[in-house]
Amino acid sequence: MTTHRTPPASADARFRHIFCHLDAIARYAARRGSRDPEGIAAETMTIAWRKLPAVPADDPRPWLFMTARHLLMAERRRGGRQAPLDPEVLEGVAAPPVESGDPEVTAALMELSPNDREALVLIAWDDLTPAQAAASLGIRPVAFRVRLLRARRRFGRALEARASAAERARLLEMESA
Amino acid sequence: MNEITRLRRARPDCGELSVDREALFAAIIAQPTDRSAPPAPVRRRRGRRRKLVLAVALALLVVLTAGTALAVTGVIGWHDDTRIISDPVEWQKLYRDAQSKLTMPPGVKWPARTLPANSVTSPLQPGGQAVDISQVAWECYWADAIKRGDASAGRRARAALTDIARHHILVAPEGTSENTAPDGQIDGPVAIYADDGGFEHFTKMIADAAAGDPATLIQSCRANGPVE
Repeated sequence: MTTHRTPPASADARFRHIFCHLDAIARYAARRGSRDPEGIAAETMTIAWRKLPAVPADDPRPWLFMTARHLLMAERRRGGRQAPLDPEVLEGVAAPPVESGDPEVTAALMELSPNDREALVLIAWDDLTPAQAAASLGIRPVAFRVRLLRARRRFGRALEARASAAERARLLEMESA
Repeated sequence: MNEITRLRRARPDCGELSVDREALFAAIIAQPTDRSAPPAPVRRRRGRRRKLVLAVALALLVVLTAGTALAVTGVIGWHDDTRIISDPVEWQKLYRDAQSKLTMPPGVKWPARTLPANSVTSPLQPGGQAVDISQVAWECYWADAIKRGDASAGRRARAALTDIARHHILVAPEGTSENTAPDGQIDGPVAIYADDGGFEHFTKMIADAAAGDPATLIQSCRANGPVE
């Protein structure tokens, strides 16, 4: 006899709880340059429904982000880009986009490695906790915290360097005027 | 404004979804589920004994290493450092001076670094960068020693990282500015950490690796190294 891990009557309600993250997944895909963020979000939800027993009931967001990330990689491979096969190298594939609402921030982000950018953006833009972000990347929370700490330092330095350069340029401009 | 706050404010607007959510929900749940899907992993609590061993190891290491750095932090004063350097030659001299007071693993050379054009920085920054580089190099050396089963190399790496934790890392008090610097003359290069747990992560990583759990060490090397 087949045993249902999730009773059919409660499956819809449980999936409703997961489905409420549809917008967050679409935004995650959009910020990483997906050509079809809504499609990625819908496919992520379809997989979540199919594999409902495998989705953590208490906090499905890391699972959803990880699935969306894999779909983004597949989208890029279909797009004809050369995709690395090593899963560790793939960590950097779903790097955040280069566009933010602040040109200085965009430029500073682009000075970072893809892994550093991803760590920062998962926290600042996708509103994941460090533990959730670590789970979505498939790494340990401690490792993520170290990565985040160093990414913050590098990002801070990049911002600082750009601000100083801009200030110097402004002073030079004032002197020459 | 700290960097995360600034990054949050720069969050791009992705607009609203055009998809009909209810129709999508109905279409998805009309599909069959995969009953063979494995259940969600259950978080297992690790044994109390292992926790106890780790706690003791960590406490020992804190006494031996972190205590020194934190004690220094508590004793010395801090101020906003408004000094700047903008000359790459001066930057590289400070970087070389720092190298002479730090160590690198056998066979690993110091990478070439310089101050980017049209940039300014603090005089402490070249030394701090050298500390970071030395730290990552020793982490990778230790991770490699563990893989090779070279206990002697492992001990050497542990001693080098412990020395960095003791003498080359300062934790700035909470609330100080990003340009904070310790008062007085600092002997040797230092990396200044914010008081956000990073130093504790570093010392715990050393303690874990010494206690036979090198996962964080290996991950740190993978994420930050190797030095080119």
